[in-house]
Amino acid sequence: MTDLFVDEYPEQARLVRAAFLTSFVALGIGALFGVIQALHRTGVFRIVESTTYYTVLTGHGVFLVITFTIFFLVGLYQWAVTDSLQRGPVDARLTWSWYGLMSVGTLIAAIAILAGFLDDPPDVLGSELSADVLFTFYAPLQANPIFYAGLVLFVVGTWLAGADWFRTWWAWKRDHPGERIPLPTFMVLTTMIMWYISSIGVAVAILAFILPWSLGLIDSLNPTLTRTLFWYFGHPVVYFWLLPAYLLWYIVLPKLSGGRLFSDPLARVVFILFVLLSTPVGIHHQYLDPGISEGFKFIAMTNTMFLLLPSLLTAFTVVASMEHGARQRGGTGTLNWLRALPWKDPAFTGMALAGLVFAFGGFTGIVNAGMNINYLVHNSLWVPGHIHTQVGTAVALTFMAGSYWLVPQLTGNRLVGRQIALFQVVLWFVGIVFMTNSMYRAGLIGVPRRSAEPQYAFDYEVGVGSMTELDVQLALGGVLLFVSTVLFLAIILLTAFNTDSDPLVDGTIPPALSGPEDSPRVLDDLRVWIGIALVLVVIAYAIPLASIVDRGGLFGPDVGPFPVVVDGVMYLQHGVAYVGVLIT
Amino acid sequence: MNIHAYERLWLVASMVLIVGFIVTITYGTVGLGITMVDDREETISPDDVDEDDRFQDPRVEQVGENEFEAYVVSMTFLFQPDPIEIPANNEVTFYVTSRDVIHSFTVVGTNTNTMVIPGEVSAMTVEFDEPGEYGVVCNEYCGPGHHDMEGSLIVHPEDEYSLTELSVDAPDQVGPGEDVELTISIQNGLLEDLETTVDVEVGDETLEQDVTVPGGETEQVSVTVDGDDLEPGDAEWSASVDDEVETGTVTIGDDADDGGDEP
Amino acid sequence: MDDSGISTEISHDEFDPIGTLALIALYFVVLTLMWLFTYFVEFVGNAPTPTVLL
Repeated sequence: MTDLFVDEYPEQARLVRAAFLTSFVALGIGALFGVIQALHRTGVFRIVESTTYYTVLTGHGVFLVITFTIFFLVGLYQWAVTDSLQRGPVDARLTWSWYGLMSVGTLIAAIAILAGFLDDPPDVLGSELSADVLFTFYAPLQANPIFYAGLVLFVVGTWLAGADWFRTWWAWKRDHPGERIPLPTFMVLTTMIMWYISSIGVAVAILAFILPWSLGLIDSLNPTLTRTLFWYFGHPVVYFWLLPAYLLWYIVLPKLSGGRLFSDPLARVVFILFVLLSTPVGIHHQYLDPGISEGFKFIAMTNTMFLLLPSLLTAFTVVASMEHGARQRGGTGTLNWLRALPWKDPAFTGMALAGLVFAFGGFTGIVNAGMNINYLVHNSLWVPGHIHTQVGTAVALTFMAGSYWLVPQLTGNRLVGRQIALFQVVLWFVGIVFMTNSMYRAGLIGVPRRSAEPQYAFDYEVGVGSMTELDVQLALGGVLLFVSTVLFLAIILLTAFNTDSDPLVDGTIPPALSGPEDSPRVLDDLRVWIGIALVLVVIAYAIPLASIVDRGGLFGPDVGPFPVVVDGVMYLQHGVAYVGVLIT
Repeated sequence: MNIHAYERLWLVASMVLIVGFIVTITYGTVGLGITMVDDREETISPDDVDEDDRFQDPRVEQVGENEFEAYVVSMTFLFQPDPIEIPANNEVTFYVTSRDVIHSFTVVGTNTNTMVIPGEVSAMTVEFDEPGEYGVVCNEYCGPGHHDMEGSLIVHPEDEYSLTELSVDAPDQVGPGEDVELTISIQNGLLEDLETTVDVEVGDETLEQDVTVPGGETEQVSVTVDGDDLEPGDAEWSASVDDEVETGTVTIGDDADDGGDEP
Repeated sequence: MDDSGISTEISHDEFDPIGTLALIALYFVVLTLMWLFTYFVEFVGNAPTPTVLL
């Protein structure tokens, strides 16, 4: 039996545990907010005012897709780099600094968001403390400046994390001249390259425009510009959530299946394709935006379609690795081998179900990528359906399943309640099937997303079934997912305190069937890929951005701020405006 | 590179899929003529919306044979005009802008759907074949009242559609026995001539008059009711053309006398 | 404890992922059919759609 991670690298294990702790706290809050929304928007049970729904929605988005996913990412990547390079960081102070910076940033943003629950939020930096602007914070909706400042600190923290991992790799390279980058580290470094290139967009949007504007230093901004910069970052960020799940599928899932990774070279190719293609596609989130020409939208569409390639290749490689495991476990037949997989292992079953959901969600992603078909689905409930199958399941369920394998190695404790863990991952799968089935179908008939009360004066034309049936499915799915989250957190919490137990986990990763020696060395020359990625970004974005600035100006066609504050004055203003409209 | 034969096969199949998707979408553009909302319109500052010819009076206009334009303003948390009334089987171009934050203009149950960004004007040309009332919603979060932002789009059968506006110039008061004269202005917003009838009621008296209003013009019709046929006191009047109705009250007889007669 | 349940070691040259090929072929068919349905029935049937003035 090999040494456990916690025994070999106690300091690193402590950091990974800290990152996972932050991640799981966010998961708990985010899930609670999620079930509140599922019950609220369907009208089943409304515990908050509909105006407060958007505070809940902002928290749900930020805590889950920023805090939960990215803290898990940094923990997992810290493990992956340490484990595959077999060494710690050059300077542990840097490691704890980025963890601290990310935590402080999260806390500040969280305070701004949660202040939305106060009846009378205090003034901070000259404006009321509030951030009901959702995860996308589209200007001219305006949050309190500390919300944006918190996000900036958080992102800077992730940048330092990347720098830390690069530094560890450089130190390793000096000691191992001429060696191929171990695959897990390769995945970490390529993910971070993608992150550096893409997060420039949101950094510019916040630092150059939104933050000074929220502080009152500039009067106006160009909403199309800040929105485009957001989506420059906003699509790659979904791969930032997804790639840690890919790492688990490529590195851990084959092992859990009882086999070996089918192809190391293709895994590298896949990650390089993500570096190249993740960013020059963001305009596909803006297919229905005025102010951007159809030509740019078409280019974004073709790029996005080619971005399917790494995911389609992944489907083959990962399934083939599982098949290899099944056959080593005695599986036979064309499809009968599926029975030979370790379905009683919650870590395996969770990841396999996550992969299955991802395959279907891939289809809905193709629809989202499909330019003109966007008229059908844009901003309908279809889109959160897609998000919940992909981030909410492919990523989240993989993280949970991966935790069942990793947490014992990080704590030295045996996983508590393996049977319950298995039930938990299956429950998640059932919950997501109910909830997203409802969301996709409701989206196709035009039910909007991001709405506290999507019940209007008109009736939706439900082709099959009824609106009540769709609402019940959504609410039921949301409740099952919440219960599943609570079970997961309870299992992890009990495991954390399950000292004096034997972890029963073999942490060794078997080598790939087709190893790195089968691939050209140029794959490991990261500078080449950074160069090509930058060129592609410039080609995809230089002209659209120039055109947006040329049309609306750098600071916009005089668009003032709209702080999102729920109070009587605001309603009075709208009331006056409304009456004014009726009179004129 | 060492790639398994099956994986090569899948690589080719994946490329076929990708190209197939791109071909489908290109067919939608070229074959079906679907266009994306784009940058064809000039930018406009939200502060200038009130001075803009198109948006200071949000409305529907006929601009050619079978061609209409609808100028729509979205703002927290409503659309103007509301309802929007258009004819079926005609090309209608919607121009939508925002007075404040980002909204959407989405006709539920159809592909008529666009983001509305302050500073920009979204333009979409569509043709509704099915008359009926459609819901219009904003599907981009725009503030705490977002879910209340709703409008409606009424698609009239082509032969029942009109852009007629009516205004009536009527006296508030006439002396005892004096004639009551109503001047009715009928504005025909369509390009075709409008042949219709003006129905006027004053008190118990009813009158009818045929009128033809040339396309895009306004005609005035004067109707006079003999004062001897009217009872003293307040008389309700109404003037209607097709579905448009204007109403008011005229006082017959001397105010002071009337006041004096009251107990 | 070894719960991997591995009974035989299968090397790269002995392994032919025929099951994966079958599953992925099925996926190809499903993707194609769902795409055609969503595009030509759900989308094109959801008229009117913004088009060019001809």
